[in-house]
Amino acid sequence: MNIEIKDLRFTYPTGLEALKGISLSVNAGEQVAIVGQNGAGKTTLVRHFNGLLRPSAGSVWIGDWDTSKYSVAKLASRVGYVFQNPDEQLFSRDVLTEVAFGPKNLGYEKDKVDALVKRALSLTELNDQTETNPYDLSPTWRKMVALASIIAMDTPIVIFDEPTTGQDAVNVARIANVIAELKKEGKTVITITHDIDFCAENFERVIALSKGEVLLDGPAREVLGQEEILAQTYVDPPQLTRLGKMLGLKATVINQEEFLNALK
Amino acid sequence: MPERLSFHIKRDSALHHLNPLTKLLLVLTLILTAFLAPFYWTPHILAVLFIPLLSMLGKVGREYFSTAIRLILPAATFLFAMQAFFQPVGEEIIFEFYFLDITRESFLFAFSNAMRIVVMVSAFTIFLLTTHPSELMSDLTRRGLPGQFAYVIISTLQILPQMQAKAQTIISAQRSRGLETEGGFFKRAGALVPLIGPLVFGSLVEVEERAIAIEARGFTSKHVKTSLHEIPDTSTDKLLRWFLTALILASIGLRIWLS
Repeated sequence: MNIEIKDLRFTYPTGLEALKGISLSVNAGEQVAIVGQNGAGKTTLVRHFNGLLRPSAGSVWIGDWDTSKYSVAKLASRVGYVFQNPDEQLFSRDVLTEVAFGPKNLGYEKDKVDALVKRALSLTELNDQTETNPYDLSPTWRKMVALASIIAMDTPIVIFDEPTTGQDAVNVARIANVIAELKKEGKTVITITHDIDFCAENFERVIALSKGEVLLDGPAREVLGQEEILAQTYVDPPQLTRLGKMLGLKATVINQEEFLNALK
Repeated sequence: MPERLSFHIKRDSALHHLNPLTKLLLVLTLILTAFLAPFYWTPHILAVLFIPLLSMLGKVGREYFSTAIRLILPAATFLFAMQAFFQPVGEEIIFEFYFLDITRESFLFAFSNAMRIVVMVSAFTIFLLTTHPSELMSDLTRRGLPGQFAYVIISTLQILPQMQAKAQTIISAQRSRGLETEGGFFKRAGALVPLIGPLVFGSLVEVEERAIAIEARGFTSKHVKTSLHEIPDTSTDKLLRWFLTALILASIGLRIWLS
């Protein structure tokens, strides 16, 4: 399912102009990372995708739906949104009920809900925790419950808001694995992140925002190699990219595999 | 979007420039005058004339009227209805509804009390809109208020806007999971269930984290604390405080003399 954004502008009631005319499209099945300094407009932009924010001007289309004409609850069947802080959404007595909350809201039959929940729990390695109260889990695992609760909704588009913040290396790898599985299923994955190494390893397209405008948009290698332009939005290229430049490698490398190949 | 941590609206107005203690005394004067003045129309004049003028002087008229319409007037109307119907005074019935009735005396009594509540809540609202909690606390602690008391007051002033912001985020998260929050009463009431857990749990965690954070910065240290933030206390402030104190005394004196 494609996302089409046409001259999107958004001004908060405080008068802060957060988005200043953004136009872009995301094709079905793309893996897109959105990067940029704090206040660049990343969260404001993606909150338009599921109707949490309505454009001050311009439009956002999710497939054939103009988001301004649909409720958030309705758009939830097309766009899943994993919030940054899992504690702001978990409320059920056990993990199973928590994960089933979304698909039940979407009105799916019991058999379908059960199948979706089972798949989401398996993908997030929560099979053994179904009866645990989410608040008894560590913050790391609460994050996985939040992920599972959105994956279980089986939306064609999934948004992650800073998924790796505060996560240890093992859980970052788990999250990367979830994203890879969603990619295999043909889902569109959009991630806001400050973790550039995570971005370089897992995303094929990068959009850099700065002060409410698109600064760069293109394949990850092209965007992450533009050190001077990225500096405008306080983003450093991945460590390997910088190391490759220091070593005088001709091609821009952005992940381990490319780096090793370039050294051979 | 930054979360609002207090009701304070940053504006350049005469009221904003007053010392917090002066504004606090102004609030106290308004409340005491509304409750103690022996003239029936005092709270009405204060509510209808003085308070709106005060909000405009503080350049927060729009925010004040918005709060008044959404919060203060409905609460005052409810209070008025309860007292008008159930206050057992007077015999001259001016309105009847089945077994309920309003007498002329209960109407006047309820109206006056509702106006007093409007004055009280409005005065505090304008105070909160024009005074940053940290300025109030810096000033009061400088005058000798113990830090622990200051912490309790500042937490109370900030808890509502903070919880409002938090509740908004939680509701957004649940709506993103397909929760329908619009519709009839039962649908709206049902939408509260996924809100309460994260809101209460999150607030408790925040209280604990904040306590640890301020203690880590020597909150209960016995040393004399200095402040980088100077709160001006001009001669106008001092003069105004004397005037307000005189007004309070006059209200009390008039009440005793005329009763």
